[in-house]
Amino acid sequence: MSYIALSFTLIFVMITMLVSMWQKLDLEKDIAIGTIRSAVQLLLVGYVLMFVFKSNHPVFILVIISVMITVAAWSAGKRGKGLSGIRWRIALSIGCTEVLMMGLLLGLHIIEATPQYIIPISGMTIGNAMVVSGLFLNHMKREVESNQGEIETLLCLGASARQAIQDSLKRSVKSSMIPTIDGMKTVGLVQLPGMMTGMIVAGADPVEAVRYQILIVFAFTASAAMTSIILSLVSYRLWFTKDLRLAPL
Amino acid sequence: MANILEMNQLRKRYLDKIILDGFTAQITRPEIISLLGKSGQGKSTLLRILCRLEAQDEGETILHGHSYLTVDPKEWRKKICYVSQQSYMLPGSVEDNLRTVSQLHKTPFDMQLARELMISLNLDYLDWGKKSIDLSGGEKQRVALVRTLLLKPEILLLDEVTASLDMQSKHAVEKVLQDWQEQEGATFIWITHDIEQAQRMSHRVWFIEEGSLLEDSDGREFFENPSTVSARNYLQRVPQEESSCLI
Repeated sequence: MSYIALSFTLIFVMITMLVSMWQKLDLEKDIAIGTIRSAVQLLLVGYVLMFVFKSNHPVFILVIISVMITVAAWSAGKRGKGLSGIRWRIALSIGCTEVLMMGLLLGLHIIEATPQYIIPISGMTIGNAMVVSGLFLNHMKREVESNQGEIETLLCLGASARQAIQDSLKRSVKSSMIPTIDGMKTVGLVQLPGMMTGMIVAGADPVEAVRYQILIVFAFTASAAMTSIILSLVSYRLWFTKDLRLAPL
Repeated sequence: MANILEMNQLRKRYLDKIILDGFTAQITRPEIISLLGKSGQGKSTLLRILCRLEAQDEGETILHGHSYLTVDPKEWRKKICYVSQQSYMLPGSVEDNLRTVSQLHKTPFDMQLARELMISLNLDYLDWGKKSIDLSGGEKQRVALVRTLLLKPEILLLDEVTASLDMQSKHAVEKVLQDWQEQEGATFIWITHDIEQAQRMSHRVWFIEEGSLLEDSDGREFFENPSTVSARNYLQRVPQEESSCLI
């Protein structure tokens, strides 16, 4: 696609802005900022990826994945406001998931050990893990607020932090995974996923594109489960004070 | 010999409101203590602090000579247990709730004791397989009490636990708790607004006002001849307030 053709896509942005002005939604500024940011970020990433793909050096791959994990942890951490140390715990959970996922994908020769495969697939799974982490924290907040009585009843009976919050953790892990599982059930029927669409548009064989999409869907499910479970295990103590009371949030 | 429990200069404040203001008391022998006072005087907060669900801003609680700071909260709560006015059932059946303590602490479930307590609390008709969420308020309250008694705590903190019970069930709870206190040598600190119940049950009365212990008296002495004007006013006012609530 030429840059002139790309510039025509701004018509979509203009339509959105006109609708916003017409309906007095007051979103014009946000749309403008979002447009500029997404264009600059994606173009920048494109050039960075071009450089990394050419150099084919593992250090660059590690740096890019580390940046992805850090940004994901920072972003998802906003959902855990008031929980001291939640961001590094999210980073740890996503990092463990990434190591396990890539270990399996590369170890079983499912994908080639080149940046062209490792970086996009890592980006997608880390992105999904970020969403799952945010959902898990949202659900946990609601659980702790609505089940304070149940948790305190267990504490009163001499339960440990883990025992007192176990049911809430289980429910939150389950809830955080539901969108991923629902997405798996309807993939291809309701929408053609981004990766597959991108490959087909770029000229790839649709069946080949579908194979990679299946890989991504399965990887998403596994990464959602792993991230949510690891995060629940490393973060449950944060909902309590040192002397085992429910922490005020 | 060390006191069973000491509360030294407990202070607690929420924003600008002082809830407890230097509350000091000791328990020297197992007994039933009624904690009386108007609403909003810090009674529930005191019980929550005693079982360490809340932290005091200042002051210290000491159990058998050991400061709360040196005792693991889990061990502390096995000895000092709180039953709230709003009884929370845990997910699952009645039996799951009764088995909670044995499951938490990996101890054998005392089926016989559980059965005896359920019968004594007029819950012999209850199907143990019934979902706890389907119980009535009064049933929940009594099941919660049995669940706590199976822990055999040394000090039981009771926050208006008979408030949602009919007269018959209320008397059954009183009888069970009196027998339990005598047999197990336990101590109860009991918040109640039912003066007749406090008269029937109390070995001792703590009268609290504005977060301070105004009177610490023998039960009979308190009801016959309260030493403070506030306590006298409280005793005169409560029956009127209760009857107006009933209307």
